[in-house]
Amino acid sequence: MEKDERPSWDNPMQFVLACVSYAVGLGNVWRFPYLCQMHGGGGFMIPYMIMLVLEGIPLFSMELAIGQKMRMGSIGAWTAINPYLGGVGIASVITSLYLCLYYNVINAWSFWYLFHSFQSVLPWATCPLNSNQTGYLEECEVATPTQYFFYRETLNISSSIDDSGGVHMGQALCLVLAWMIVYLFIVKGVKSTGKVVYFTATFPYLVLFIYLIRGVTLHGAMNGVKYMFTPKLEQLANPQTWINAATQIFFSLGLGFGSLIAFASYNQYHNNFERQAVIVSLINSGTSVFASIVTFSIYGFKATFNYESCLERVRLLLLNTFDMAEDTISLDNIDYWISELNRTHPDQFASLAPKLDTCDLEAELDTAVEGTGLAFIVYSEAIKNMPASQFWSVLYFSMLLLLGMGSMLGNVTAIITPLRDFKVLARNFSNETLNGLVCLFCLLLGLGFTTRSGNYWFTMFNEYGATFSLLFIVLIEVVTVSYIYGLKRFEKDIEDMLGHRPNWYWKIMWAVVSPVLLISLFIFYIVDYIRGGTPTYQAWNPDLTLIGAAYWRWTTLVTFCEAKT
Amino acid sequence: MFPLLLLLCLPPALAAVDCNTEYKNGYQVRLSIKTALGDQAYDWNESEMFLFRATIAFAMRKFNKTEAYEVSNIVVCNQTPRVSFWFIVTSPEDPAQAISKNIVEQAVRESRNRINNAFLLTDKSLEFLGIPPTLAAPIIPATPPWLIVFGVVIGAVCAGIVALLVTSFVKRRREKKAKVVPEEEDQAKGTDKAVTGETFEDRNGVYNLGFADDDRFTQL
Repeated sequence: MEKDERPSWDNPMQFVLACVSYAVGLGNVWRFPYLCQMHGGGGFMIPYMIMLVLEGIPLFSMELAIGQKMRMGSIGAWTAINPYLGGVGIASVITSLYLCLYYNVINAWSFWYLFHSFQSVLPWATCPLNSNQTGYLEECEVATPTQYFFYRETLNISSSIDDSGGVHMGQALCLVLAWMIVYLFIVKGVKSTGKVVYFTATFPYLVLFIYLIRGVTLHGAMNGVKYMFTPKLEQLANPQTWINAATQIFFSLGLGFGSLIAFASYNQYHNNFERQAVIVSLINSGTSVFASIVTFSIYGFKATFNYESCLERVRLLLLNTFDMAEDTISLDNIDYWISELNRTHPDQFASLAPKLDTCDLEAELDTAVEGTGLAFIVYSEAIKNMPASQFWSVLYFSMLLLLGMGSMLGNVTAIITPLRDFKVLARNFSNETLNGLVCLFCLLLGLGFTTRSGNYWFTMFNEYGATFSLLFIVLIEVVTVSYIYGLKRFEKDIEDMLGHRPNWYWKIMWAVVSPVLLISLFIFYIVDYIRGGTPTYQAWNPDLTLIGAAYWRWTTLVTFCEAKT
Repeated sequence: MFPLLLLLCLPPALAAVDCNTEYKNGYQVRLSIKTALGDQAYDWNESEMFLFRATIAFAMRKFNKTEAYEVSNIVVCNQTPRVSFWFIVTSPEDPAQAISKNIVEQAVRESRNRINNAFLLTDKSLEFLGIPPTLAAPIIPATPPWLIVFGVVIGAVCAGIVALLVTSFVKRRREKKAKVVPEEEDQAKGTDKAVTGETFEDRNGVYNLGFADDDRFTQL
């Protein structure tokens, strides 16, 4: 006889940790600090918290309720609610599939950096030498060593998306390893996932805490933290701020992928998901703020380091040109000497002017970076300047790995759970085989991202692959539950599960506020996409010479990329 | 603070070679002692200059094994408080003739490490303007170190996967064997069970579908 019982979490704590592990991902570390910086530092908390209350918590709770009630993955659950809306479930699965394909490549990069940290000198600390060993490679001189390491040695990036080149063997190996680890974590379904999340959910916090202590004790860290927390409240008048807050909450919680429905479907029927939804959402937002304190202290350190290096360069230039003794100019009296020398030797100073960098701490702090650039370039640049940099590097990339793996668990579960709900598949394939086939399929397709043009495809998938569809999916979800399935029926189901009806806050959010917010976000995205014209991407061009070079070695190529549905 | 010396007067015997006029064969040297050594910096004085001239003479001797260069063959001029100066190497046989730039460059490049170490400085703090430093060749190990770590991790993961698969396979085989025996006993008990095979006393306490609320499927 086939076993009809559904596997379940060993205890509610595993479910909460699984949700935390899924929701707290790389976006908390590399997107939120950027948004904070762009939209007025401490002031960004206001729209962020408001959006959390208006859309984050209600939608999160709704997905958990659906999963717990229907006890099936997204396809089965939506088909049960309304047979015509089974497509919502299928859309969720496909979006999860897209995400699985490209997200694990980030884990592959994290593995690459992690393995390369086990060297006496970090490979991104210095440029490699040129052929006659008189200096450094030109491509690396023009960019920075960390950029060179990422774009040339990690990705071996080609100069355009059309030039696909071959597969980068190191990346391919790391991707295979990443998928093997994902398989190891989900091979027994929720039984193995439940054990793993104890680690993947808690270890990143430990590392963030260690980094917090390290970060705030770094020289110049306070510059960054002060910069972040000084609220620029005039940004609140900018509608872009509110839109970004809403989208950040939305994507950070991982709504619409079907992972939450899948996780909740393994719950006990009377599990108090309402309280857990509030807890997980607050933990997720709290982690974002925590991570941005760490990020800004690192920013402050890096900006101060660069500023002081710049001053040192100016000092040496002045000393060498005017042949003065070394201890006449120090970093403190540089400005005095600049004006003094300009006054006493105007001609010589004039010839010097083009080589003289203007050193500005504010400008260094203003360079806001997000995404893979922040995680792999900016952070590794800061780490290489810390004492005992190998240790900090290993710690940091392990944390990135765990954040990424935790999110991957949710994404793969979102695909596997609906597949297992189909009795045909469940009967003919065992748990292990089905999970293995899904992982293998995603691995083979994901190898495309390890080619030389893989990063361009990755950026495209990251920016266009899921954003649009998710908004649409969640909009349909909330409208279905509130109006087609009926709020009254939903209330009854919740009362059945929890023992009490949802209060007025939940009902107003589900019925009115969240749909309105989602519709306006959706319209905004469409308008923005149409107004943006032909999508462009930034490419890395290694042939540009030093003459007339800007600091960033980018050229912008205009290519028409089709947005994925 | 050291005095500003504009021109160092050399012994009259070598007045024939004036490095002001022989710039094309000379090199400018710049030292950044205080920047490099901080508290442990030494003052630049006559003795240090003598050491410099001696090391250059040593470099020339090492490069050109036949000629015996002396300290007096190294002519120095235009010292500045920055601690930068020009030097020219003259031939030991004919002090009026300067050695060509290329030869001096090669000699300095060959012994650069020794020259640097004599002053506790590096390529960056003891600059020979116009002579590019020979950067130390990076040590390339036989196996890239990252592959070693990768091998360890992937080995552990493979072992984990194999262990999990084997234990679940063995468990399933054991359960299948255990099931065959009780089923033969059940058939003797009669038809107590419902047709679908679901029992009321389900051991794991799973939500019994027989008592499910069927109107969760919407009516259209």
